[in-house]
Amino acid sequence: MELMEGNDVGFATCGDKNEEIGIESLQFGEEIQSLMSVPPETGSSFTALLELPANQAVVLLHSPESHEAPAELSGEVWRNGSIDHPKPYQPQSFACTPTFPSNTALLERASRLSVFAATENSPETTSIPSNSSATSHKVKQEPIESYSNPDSSPILSDPTVLNKNQKSTKRKEREKKVKGATKKIKNAVNDTSEDGEKLPYVHVRARRGQATDSHSLAERARREKINARMKLLQELVPGCNKISGTALVLDEIIYHVQSLQRQVELLSMRLAAVNPRIDFNLDGLLAAESGSLMDGNFPGMFMPPIWPEGCVNGNRQHYQQLWQFDGHHQPVWGRGEDNLNFITPANSLLSYDSSANNSGKLYSNITRVIVHLPCFSMSTEIISTSRKSVGLDYKFREHSDIVNCYQVSKH
Amino acid sequence: MGPPSSIKKKFLKKWITGLQICSSSKENMSLFERKKAIKLSADVAMASARNATTCWSRALIANASKDDNNKILVDHILGTESERLKKASIGSVMCNNKRVRSKKILKKSCSFRRVKKMAPQMVLASSIAKRLVKKRTLVLKSLVPGGEAMDESSLIEETLDYIISLRAQIDVMRRLANASEHLNLK
Repeated sequence: MELMEGNDVGFATCGDKNEEIGIESLQFGEEIQSLMSVPPETGSSFTALLELPANQAVVLLHSPESHEAPAELSGEVWRNGSIDHPKPYQPQSFACTPTFPSNTALLERASRLSVFAATENSPETTSIPSNSSATSHKVKQEPIESYSNPDSSPILSDPTVLNKNQKSTKRKEREKKVKGATKKIKNAVNDTSEDGEKLPYVHVRARRGQATDSHSLAERARREKINARMKLLQELVPGCNKISGTALVLDEIIYHVQSLQRQVELLSMRLAAVNPRIDFNLDGLLAAESGSLMDGNFPGMFMPPIWPEGCVNGNRQHYQQLWQFDGHHQPVWGRGEDNLNFITPANSLLSYDSSANNSGKLYSNITRVIVHLPCFSMSTEIISTSRKSVGLDYKFREHSDIVNCYQVSKH
Repeated sequence: MGPPSSIKKKFLKKWITGLQICSSSKENMSLFERKKAIKLSADVAMASARNATTCWSRALIANASKDDNNKILVDHILGTESERLKKASIGSVMCNNKRVRSKKILKKSCSFRRVKKMAPQMVLASSIAKRLVKKRTLVLKSLVPGGEAMDESSLIEETLDYIISLRAQIDVMRRLANASEHLNLK
């Protein structure tokens, strides 16, 4: 276990808090992993819908670090904004906790906001660890339901059954309440989402002087939804914040997506040009990786001479040589830096037998992809069998399927 | 702040599988073929890193699996779940097409038109604005894979997700390219 802790320390020094949290989540196991990846995709925009209009709720809802693992994706999205750590789970636990009071009297909305925040923390903290996988399903189902339903019910004939996310409209209404006197209130039934199949009713309020028939209300709800998401996009795409007007913002977004796609093309061209055989013989990648090592760090200076030139097959001997060399330099490094961690996912990246004679093997020309990314640790996930250790471990094990995993953190 | 590392990790893992397969396939590939293979493997890896939860990833996988040349590559990258994912993707794409068509038919049949009374200038201005927005949404739909079958709000969500994934992909690819270029220089 100390190995893991050491790793965490190493990660922490990378300076990316979310990385650390992500690694912690790895320790929780695969279910957390799936939580990280799945719910934010479907729910992230919803959380944006919820979080963006109500910043103070976000701050209030901020829960302890262990729950931030699920928030990784959405957390990244809103870094730019004023939100520190939006909680994709928090709002969704709204619907997931049956104790949550339903929206009845709208006059108490403002006061309720703080009440919600206070009550949410406790149910959330208890519910998340236990119901993590269960809630993820519910969470996933709700957004998916709401996706599919607007498609399937093109005409919103029934005003009381609007297939939208109840929570998002509720939050919007809090905003609206500030703006004007209410003219009409539609009562909605709170969907406890125990089953997650029924779609919540929508609580829509009309502003003063606005049409209150079902169509316009539905349209307005739809427009609000679109606007909230556009705001999210604006935050994400750089340079969009100052622009007003949907068409111009869309212009920026289109330009951004096109430039990203062009970059992918260029990079794949570069990669194709570099390698005549699409083999990534990257023994020296560790040192050669731009940014971290080549800045003249000790490790960076020592690494290039260590690795022999060009095409090396997955030789164990090579490795041994490598690591022994490392050992010589350890005292030098040891002085300067506490944390010398190297990441080398090696040939046994995908649990291939590196000790086998590679000429005959299918992957003989792919030796190792060693990607050293200081803030991006490739850990056990990528390496089927790996061993993490702090500092240099230049004892090379005989078995081919063991990979020593090191991290070099730049100080 | 960049995309989260979990996505990057998944992507890299799958991409490496794909690249290894690419390299073992043909001996002499031209530059363009290599580039296409690399890009394809990267795209499919990115899409499968999303586990077909988003519409664009499903559309990407569906498009990729249509081409028989790429079959092996796609299968390997998708891994053990390849059959399931492919079916889901192709199924959803076909569903989307049907949905889009039926929506259009329904809209046409719905004859209720509400009359909004506005001053003539406002009508003109708003109609111009609408046209502009509409043009741009069409362009965006053509950019995002599988975008034609989405309505506006889900289009925006998909764009969001797509942008994040693209950034992650670019980040990983750039690091790899830099590193291998450095290596080749030595």
